[in-house]
Amino acid sequence: MNVEVDLTAREDTPRWLTYAVPVCTILAALGVGAIVLLVIEINPLEAYSIMFVDTLTSEIGQTDTLIRAVPLILAGLAVYLPLKAGLFNIGAEGQLVFGALAGAWVGLNVSLPGYALVALMFLAAAVAGGVLAAIPAWLRAKWDINEIITSLLLTFVALEILSYMVRGPMQGGSGNFPQTERFSDAATIPTLFTRVHAGILVAVLMVALTYVIMSKTRLGFEITFIGSNDEAAVQAGMSKYKVYLFVFILSGAFAGMGGISEVAGVQGRLRAGFEPGYGFTAIPIALLGRNSAIKVMLAALFFALLFVGGTNMEVFLGIPAALVEVIQALIILFLIAGEFFKSYRVTVDIDRSPAPAPAETPKGDA
Amino acid sequence: MGESTFLEMNDILKQFPGVVANDHVNLRVQRGEIHGLLGENGAGKSTLMKILYGLYTQDAGEIYLDGSRLTLESPQDAIDAGIGMVHQHFQLIPRLTVAENVVLGEREPATMFRPEAASESRLPDALLSNSLVQSIAKQFSLGLDVPKRRIQELADQYGFDIDAGAKIWELDVGQQQRVEILKALYRDVDLLILDEPTAVLTPTEAEQLFESLDRLTDEGLSIIFITHKLDEVEAIVDRVTILREGENVGTETVSEVTQADLAEMMVGREVLFQLEKDGIEFGEPVLQLNDISADNDRGIEALSGIDLTVREGEVVGIAGVSGNGQKELAEVAAGIREPTGGEIVVGGTDLTGAKPKRFVDNAVSFVPEDRLRYGCAEDLSVMHNAMMKEFDGSRFGDAVGLDYDELAAYAELLVEEFDVRGAGDVTATDAGDLSGGNLQKLILAREINRDPALLIANQPTRGVDVGAIEFIRETLLEQRKDGTGIVLLSEDLDEITDLSDRILVIYEGEFVYETTPDRADRDRIGLEMTGGQATGEPGKTGAEPEQTPVVTGQNGEHR
Repeated sequence: MNVEVDLTAREDTPRWLTYAVPVCTILAALGVGAIVLLVIEINPLEAYSIMFVDTLTSEIGQTDTLIRAVPLILAGLAVYLPLKAGLFNIGAEGQLVFGALAGAWVGLNVSLPGYALVALMFLAAAVAGGVLAAIPAWLRAKWDINEIITSLLLTFVALEILSYMVRGPMQGGSGNFPQTERFSDAATIPTLFTRVHAGILVAVLMVALTYVIMSKTRLGFEITFIGSNDEAAVQAGMSKYKVYLFVFILSGAFAGMGGISEVAGVQGRLRAGFEPGYGFTAIPIALLGRNSAIKVMLAALFFALLFVGGTNMEVFLGIPAALVEVIQALIILFLIAGEFFKSYRVTVDIDRSPAPAPAETPKGDA
Repeated sequence: MGESTFLEMNDILKQFPGVVANDHVNLRVQRGEIHGLLGENGAGKSTLMKILYGLYTQDAGEIYLDGSRLTLESPQDAIDAGIGMVHQHFQLIPRLTVAENVVLGEREPATMFRPEAASESRLPDALLSNSLVQSIAKQFSLGLDVPKRRIQELADQYGFDIDAGAKIWELDVGQQQRVEILKALYRDVDLLILDEPTAVLTPTEAEQLFESLDRLTDEGLSIIFITHKLDEVEAIVDRVTILREGENVGTETVSEVTQADLAEMMVGREVLFQLEKDGIEFGEPVLQLNDISADNDRGIEALSGIDLTVREGEVVGIAGVSGNGQKELAEVAAGIREPTGGEIVVGGTDLTGAKPKRFVDNAVSFVPEDRLRYGCAEDLSVMHNAMMKEFDGSRFGDAVGLDYDELAAYAELLVEEFDVRGAGDVTATDAGDLSGGNLQKLILAREINRDPALLIANQPTRGVDVGAIEFIRETLLEQRKDGTGIVLLSEDLDEITDLSDRILVIYEGEFVYETTPDRADRDRIGLEMTGGQATGEPGKTGAEPEQTPVVTGQNGEHR
């Protein structure tokens, strides 16, 4: 028996498919997750209703989702923008941590009236993130060193520096915990409503900024072109050097702002390991939303919902945290796989007649 | 051909979308001969050989080797049948030794498990001949001693001067090529395909290769030698099959034909169009290349001492067989390849070493040979591609902002004016969805509408349908009337003679011959293109820019 799987690129994606694919993939992921839940004797319908319906309809759920979305949106943009220029920023995590560190230092050591301090903290965070991101961009533009590796490795550098700072020079507060002192009120991001802090405004503003850059400016044209065919772009006189540095520095700034908004908006002090890897979650967010900055925002909101809903499932049904993560991962996996079916048509051919296979077909070779 | 015919390819047909790469081609190779496969780029040589090596499957036709019919579905099938191929780009791992590279992909059990090395093995015979032991040994043990000895024997037998224990990176290019040949010999092939083997070699290395090949054929091996250089055919090949535009033009015994005959068979084409060309007064020089040399992508010198002057309203045609420096010359003149020596002056401004952007700003336009790689971004819209160079013009926005509506309107104008078909909505259609001819029209539109002072057009009509060819040629002549200096690089002699005011022949990175279309002798040009030795008195070398458009009228002497 011969099974032939044939992939053909679709000429164009039918309209219904663009909507059907995400819906079907999420349903399929939930279906697989349901099997897992049934095994540990939990009613999947109840679990999913807590995960999604209750989270979206309760004020607490909505608030938590929005708060979670802030760093995810900003980190998502930090991966999205270089992606447009054909680069992979895998180091958003490090840029986020670096930004949080710089912002926290300003918040603890500078005193300014009114909202000026918070603004300065955001600025410091953006600069720090941008500086860290500039390194892989420069190495790539100048020496063609793979930015995936350099940006990823710099993440560990940033994490270690954070770890040292909160145990050493910046350690504070009662007890000997790896954390800083509490921020003063002036160094805390003001809340808008319930517990949602003003960081959400910064995030939305940056989404708008990215959207405008990509679709309304000359630079956006260059970024798009270099991302699609850099050799033709260089032939046309565009500068890879300029574009690579620009997208990475701006990305680093986005991620850095995401870091400080989490620290100064939610946690009130800087801790070692203060966030659950937003910078890495940003990668699937940017892949899902790669068509526009607004889609990045929507993807980030969805991921925030997964986080918050997952926690709720854990709390109300006693589902182990690890299983919640499995279900979240399944949804992400299915969504990304689903993208594939949008652009390819898959046909499976099963040929039941004994194949005229040559006698020397290698056996047992994996 | 009768009994001595070893390989027979009958009526091979291979079509790609829109192109017939092999149009019922026949090829017969005799045992123990070196059989040349001659043709221009795109003539179908590689396709035919890829079919023979199992990389492509033919749409129709049959292959017989030594009388038995072959069904080749993969290179492994071809190797099993006794067909080996040495690719133009070596497939070697530099950090591994010669022996390791040669055995790569084979199962080589350790010496103690080898029945043929029983004297060195301490295992009892019963175990040694047990098939289970053998298959486990093949899976899980590796011994290079025996293979290494055999490889060294093979190398010595054919006088290859290679140490089987040496690392690949320690070897020069010629030796690396012989390792590739060893890979095939180690697998006991009877037929060896060499794809333009001398492209990467120096003349001395080529000589050594030819000697090795002679030894191989003495041992009964048959060799197919792909080339487009006539002097190589003369030097090494016994019989030659010529392909042109996917069709078999004929098979000749090399000793019975002249190089001029072969050149005509290879490049001779019917004139498709009669173009109106008015006489024009040439103006100021728009491009001056002084003693330019440049390397190709592999770091081998591709241009050695090129002098070229192009004036306003002048079309300089550069004829040559692909791979003789045209690509590098075009890229140097367009500013995207930095020369290793010499000087580039565009319209009176010295642009040596300047960034591509300055060439663009100095009204240099470029139609690249590889339009998908350098000419466009396939995945972006027609609008993006049409505006690739003009998007920073002041009419499309302010310092930062860009008016996409204006861009689209302008792109639509271009599409209409240059009759680019299939574009539809310029913002929605991807450039990659256009047909080759229409994409080329779009690129030409973009380059010409900038009103360039200098236009470099490399193979502007290659792979383009007949209608578009005519349109593109007419457009080039119109542009000439507007005073643009044009450098036209083409392998199509008709195109060169129809469009040019002056013709230069490039061979191995140097201009070897100069003439004008009125006095052009096609056979002579064909001969010069392929490095053939012309009879007659030696003359001046290369271009004499000051004398344009006067012809030197004498033989170009090279090397």
